Amino acid sequence: MSSGPDNEQVQAAPMYASAEKIYPREIKGRFESLSKLATLILLGLFYGVPWLMWDERQAVLFDMPARKFYLLGVTLWPQDFPYLALLLIIAALSLFFFTALLGRVWCGFACPQTVWTEAFIWIEQWTEGTRSRRIKLDKAPWSWNKLRRKGSKQLLWLTLSLWTGFTFVGFFAPIRELGPDLLTLSAGGWAMFWTLFYGLATYGNAGYMREQVCKYMCPYARFQSAMFDKDTLIISYDETRGEPRGGRKRTADPQALGLGDCIDCSLCVQVCPTGIDIRDGLQYDCIACAACIDACDSVMDKMTYPRGLIRYSTEHGMQQRDTRILRPRIFVYAALLLVLLGGMVTSMATRTPIILDVIRDRNSLYRELPDGFVENIYTLKIINQADDNRNFRLSVDGVRGISLDGVPAAVAVNGGGVLSLPVRARAHRDDAYGIMNIAFTVTDVEDASIAMTEDSRFLGPTP
Amino acid sequence: MIQEEYRGARQWSRNRQAIAIVVWISFLTAAIGTMVFFALFDPVALSGIFDEDLEIGRQAGYAAGFFFFWILSAICSAVTAWLVRTAPKRDAQHR
Repeated sequence: MSSGPDNEQVQAAPMYASAEKIYPREIKGRFESLSKLATLILLGLFYGVPWLMWDERQAVLFDMPARKFYLLGVTLWPQDFPYLALLLIIAALSLFFFTALLGRVWCGFACPQTVWTEAFIWIEQWTEGTRSRRIKLDKAPWSWNKLRRKGSKQLLWLTLSLWTGFTFVGFFAPIRELGPDLLTLSAGGWAMFWTLFYGLATYGNAGYMREQVCKYMCPYARFQSAMFDKDTLIISYDETRGEPRGGRKRTADPQALGLGDCIDCSLCVQVCPTGIDIRDGLQYDCIACAACIDACDSVMDKMTYPRGLIRYSTEHGMQQRDTRILRPRIFVYAALLLVLLGGMVTSMATRTPIILDVIRDRNSLYRELPDGFVENIYTLKIINQADDNRNFRLSVDGVRGISLDGVPAAVAVNGGGVLSLPVRARAHRDDAYGIMNIAFTVTDVEDASIAMTEDSRFLGPTP
Repeated sequence: MIQEEYRGARQWSRNRQAIAIVVWISFLTAAIGTMVFFALFDPVALSGIFDEDLEIGRQAGYAAGFFFFWILSAICSAVTAWLVRTAPKRDAQHR
């Protein structure tokens, strides 16, 4: 361990052998830049999207109190639940696809746990300094300096957490009204509660639990290996090139000393956010953040050895065999994804913007009118999913001579509105007996192609 | 060995692991359950079924539903974890 950078700290470390905490060391490099970019984009999306507007309303709003979801130009209703289910299936399949192809890129670059931990570590580094300073600071007795640094870290952490909670609630309640409401404490109790709940969860997960979440609590971390094969991208240490490891002078010839390329500087372990040694081989604790690649490359550059002692590779690649990207597993996942995505897009593009619900009055079976007619009562619920006001025509068929009574020629429904309309359907008792199937239809007055039919029952006396 | 000193020495006890897993997994299950349930049923309509005088807002309904699912799945998950962990030792050899 003679030529590893920061020898002083390496020697200071044994005091922390049983430390409770991992102090990931800061590192610069290609993958660090990539991860910083991913973090900034994802956090930017999360914090920014609720503020976007779309025609006078929030562009993305899951309006739970009104039971409507606004997604840019689309308004989704509880009846559109299949889309949500389909979306979740697509998300899961994409995870499988990308895992088979690229290994745990999700864990290393896109998982909220990683992204917020990253943000919290930035704050930690900014207030408490580098890894070695943080270790020293934690060990030092309480002083004004320690109080100031720890205090400002907590203040920033809490602020970010609360802002995160506020933003989260802002996806479910109009964020522009929510902000002032929360500040003046006039927001509803539940908005306050969820802001604090989500904020504290962020604080605990990203500030304290960190890698423990991945190690002990994450189901994906446990089953991702099922999607792996010998051609999946993994971070690996080139054992044949690196071993036997050992310290040496920069000018020394490793071959003469009988050493491999690993100088055993332990930097790859110091930068690891989950505190593992990648040189022990692939471990399920590894979240594939590639920090060790950056660390090792920087050391290899210093030693003027070629880069890539730790690198992205595949099991086949490490065995000097060809890596096949296009393999059956990839095709199956890709095909399934394409079919589902295509189906979802087509169905959303062709969906009729009206919904009709027919509820039969349960209190009476049927009523016989004096003129020989039988009457059934229904409540029709017409939901206009379009954004503009529309007029609809109602009709019913299925029984000879059946007609609607007391219904205007056209009913108007506001854009995004629901109309609940009690209607009476009538048929002559000679035509209506027992249980008969009927169907209600609503048709847009201006555009007959926009129509929706819903089945129901018509009851009459037993013949 | 140097790496031992840097290795994540932070290990959770088995109890702590079990609690964290139970809380987290039941949370995820409850989130999915709440989503599916309230996509199909409107809490306002439901509150009228149990008691006509009971007036619950949607937000309170969602929250109550969520915590109901969370507690339910946490109980299920905790009992399962407990039974698995306290299974007789001699059975473990046959696994």
